[in-house]
Amino acid sequence: MAKMIDGLLPSGRDVAFAEIEATLARIVSGGRRHNRPPARALLATVIVVGPPQRLIAAAEALEQFSDMGGVRSILISEGEHTEPIARVTDTAVAVSGLAPRYLNNAVAALRLSSLPAAVWWRGGSVEGLKDLADLADRLILDTEEPEAAWREAGSLFERTALTDLRWTALTRWRSALAHLFDLPHVRRGAAALKGVRIDARDLASGRLYAGWLKSSLPWPSGAKLEIQPCSAAGAPLTCVSLDCGGVAVTLKMREGRSCFEATAGAQESERIVPTGDVSLGALIAEELGVRTRDLAFERALIAAQEIAA
Amino acid sequence: MTVPPSSGSNPLLDGLRIEPTPAPTALIIFGASGDLTRRKLLPAVYQLSRGQRLPARFTVVGVARSEMSDEQFRQQLHDSLKEFAGISKPDDVSTALAARLFYVHGEMDDPALYQKLVAKLKECGAPDGVLFYLAIPPTVYGVVADQLAAARLTEPATPDGWRRMIVEKPFGTDLESARALNQRLHKYLDESQVFRIDHYLGKETVQNLLVFRFANGMFEPVWNRRYIDHVQITAAETVGVERRAAYYEGAGALRDMVQNHLMQVLALVAMEPPIAFSAENVRDRKLDVILSMQPFVTDRGAREHVVRAQYSAGWVNGTEVPGYRQEEGVNSESSTDTYVALRAYLDSWRWAGVPFYIRTGKRMPKRTTEIAIQFRRPPLHIFKRISPTPIAPNLLIVNVQPDEGISVRFEAKLPGTRMQLAPVMMNFRYGSAFGRPVPEAYETLLLDAMLGDATLYARHDFVEASWALITPILDAWRSAKADGLACYEAGEWGPREADALIAADGRRWRTL
Repeated sequence: MAKMIDGLLPSGRDVAFAEIEATLARIVSGGRRHNRPPARALLATVIVVGPPQRLIAAAEALEQFSDMGGVRSILISEGEHTEPIARVTDTAVAVSGLAPRYLNNAVAALRLSSLPAAVWWRGGSVEGLKDLADLADRLILDTEEPEAAWREAGSLFERTALTDLRWTALTRWRSALAHLFDLPHVRRGAAALKGVRIDARDLASGRLYAGWLKSSLPWPSGAKLEIQPCSAAGAPLTCVSLDCGGVAVTLKMREGRSCFEATAGAQESERIVPTGDVSLGALIAEELGVRTRDLAFERALIAAQEIAA
Repeated sequence: MTVPPSSGSNPLLDGLRIEPTPAPTALIIFGASGDLTRRKLLPAVYQLSRGQRLPARFTVVGVARSEMSDEQFRQQLHDSLKEFAGISKPDDVSTALAARLFYVHGEMDDPALYQKLVAKLKECGAPDGVLFYLAIPPTVYGVVADQLAAARLTEPATPDGWRRMIVEKPFGTDLESARALNQRLHKYLDESQVFRIDHYLGKETVQNLLVFRFANGMFEPVWNRRYIDHVQITAAETVGVERRAAYYEGAGALRDMVQNHLMQVLALVAMEPPIAFSAENVRDRKLDVILSMQPFVTDRGAREHVVRAQYSAGWVNGTEVPGYRQEEGVNSESSTDTYVALRAYLDSWRWAGVPFYIRTGKRMPKRTTEIAIQFRRPPLHIFKRISPTPIAPNLLIVNVQPDEGISVRFEAKLPGTRMQLAPVMMNFRYGSAFGRPVPEAYETLLLDAMLGDATLYARHDFVEASWALITPILDAWRSAKADGLACYEAGEWGPREADALIAADGRRWRTL
C-alpha cells in the first residue's frame, strides 16, 4: 500500500479507497450532530493530478477557494499501486501512488454526479492525461515542463475543453492589448507589423502569448519575434512591445508590480491595468468558471509549438 | 481540427474571456457634486476601471451648481472611494482615473454653462461618444435637455459619435408629467438614446429571474394559475425619510417604490417568455404585463385593492424613532404615504385569478426585498391521518436584498419511525455560491448604457402604462386627503388594514 504524502490534507482521515464515500457521509453527519453549519452546496468536482509537492500547493489553493466556491477536490499522485490509500476531509479526497492506468476508474468513482468535473493537470504520465479527457468537462494543463502535454493537446481538443493555466494568467495581458486594438489607428498599424518583443518570466508563457499574436494578427513574413527571459517574480510577463507600422504599442509592468501600463502611441490612450490576483487559487477559481471550448487558446497553442523553445 | 479566427474588427478580441468594451466614451454627470455621484456613480466607474470594463479612451466631466475645480472633483473621487468603496488611499487605478476627471459648474438653465461644457470637452480631448447622466432633480431634466440641444451637444460631431442619456427616477410624478417629459426628451433624442434607470433592474437576483425562468425547463411549466396560488412582493426599509423629506413629501411610497421598482419586478415575475434576450423583446413582454393589469381604482374607489399608511413613532433596530410627521422637513399634517399595500390582478391566460400582493414601507422591522411565489397545496393530503401537522404550501422565494439568492420550501419526512412531515428550505445564495463578488447595480447599468444595451432600462411605454395604473390611485387619495390614511407604529409590519386586505382573500402576509 502506498504511503500518504506528508503535508497533504493534514486534518484528514486515512481510509481504504472503498471507504471514501462512507467516510465522507460520516463526516457530514458528524458535523450535523455537533451542530456545525451544514456543508456548502457543491458545484463541481476538481481532480488534481501531479507530483506530491505540487499536489500540496494545489490542495492549499483549493482549500482557500472552497471557502468561496464549493467544490469536491480529488488529489491524486501517480505511482505503482492498484490498492492506494486515501485521505478524506469533508470536501477533499487525496489518493496516493495510484497506478496511472486506473486514474480514470478512480475519478469515475469519486466525481460528483451530474455536476461539472475539471481536471487540473499538474504533471504525470501522458497516458493518464488522455484517459481523463473523456471524464472531464474541462482539462486544465499546469505543468512546469509543458512540452509533452502540449504535444498531446491536438488530439484532445475534440474530446474536452482544454486550456493551460498559463493562458489564464495571461488573460489580463491579452485583454489589455485587445483593448488597445479597439483604437482604429492601432488596428490599421497592425497590418504593417514589424516586430514583437516579449519579456517573460516563464518562457512557455511568452511562447503562448506570441502564439496568440501570431494566430490572431496578420503576421507579415518579415515581422520579427523576440522572447526574452526575465527574472521578475509574480506576473508571467513584464513587458510586451509591438511595432505596428510606426505605432508603438506597449504593455509594461509598473514599479510595485500591482499594475501595468498599456499605451498605444499617443498619451491619451494610456491605461493602467491591475495585474490582478495571479495566485494559484485565483487562477483556478477563474478557470472553473469556464466550461466552453476555447478556440483562441487552441490556435495559440498550435502556433506556440511552432515557435522555438 | 482548429477553426480559423473570425473576421471581427478587432482580431484580438476573438475568444477573449472579457465582456464587450464600450466605444470611447465621455461620461457627463449632471449633479456631480451630489449624493448619488459620490455614493454610487464614482465608485461604479472606479470598479469598472479596475475590471478593465472601460474603453481605452474614457473621460468623466462633472457638472453641477457647486463651484469646484478639476482638482477638487478628482479629490472627491478619492474621498468617495474611501467612504463608499473601502479604498482607503489612492491606488494606481484611481490615480489614472482621476486624471481623466474634469468639472464645470453653473446654473442648469444658464446657456453659459453649456458653452463651458463644450469648451471643457474640447480641452480634455473627450471622445465623441457621450453619455449624459442626469443625477439631478427631475424638475430640471427638461431644461437640461433643452440647453444641451441648444448647445448642439445632443448631436454627434463625427460619424462614429453617439449620444445617450441616463435619466434617474422619478420619471414624472403622474401620467401627464411622464408623457410630457417623454415628449420633451424625444424632441432631441430618440427612444433608443434614452435610458431610464431603475437600479432594481441592475440587481443580480432580479436579472436572475429571467435566467431562472427561461433557462430552466422545470419551473416554467408550473409558472401559472394552475399551480401558483398567489405572489407576494415585499420591499421593506428600516430607515425613515432621512434627508429626503423635501422629495418624499411630494412622492410617497406609491410613487417612490411601486410605480417603478415594484412594477418592474412584478413584470419580470409575470411576463411571457420573450423570443430572444434582447432589449426590445424583453421590454415588449414586460409591457404586456402592465397592460394586462386590472385597474386598482374601481367603482368603490381605491380602498378595495390599495391600502396606504403612515408610520407613527416607534422602535426600530433598538432605537426609538419619531413618527413621520415629526421628521425634520415634514409637514405636521402630512398625508404622504410611507407604506402601501396593493392587490393586483392580471387579465391574462397565465395569471387570471392569481392575486399579486405588493407591500412596501419605511420604518419596517427589517430591511428586505423579496418575491415569494406560493404554490397551491397538493389536491389531497394523504398523510392527514398519520401526520398531525398540516402541509405547508411550497414556496419559492427570490431574495432581492440584502442577501441575494433563491430558496425553495418543500415538505420532507422527519427522520424516525413515525411519518411526520416538516417544511425544509433549500437555499441558493449569490454571495457565497460562486466565489466571486456580486457587482453593484450601478456598475452593470452604467456599463450597459455605454454599450447601448437598454434591456435593463425602462422604456417610455412601460413608464407611461405604469403611471396610467398609478395615477388614478393618486387622484383618489388627493380627493380623500387624509381620509383613509392608516397608521402603523414604526417597527411594525404595516397597518391592520393591510392585514385585512390580504385576509379578505383567506391569506396572510409572510412573516419575514
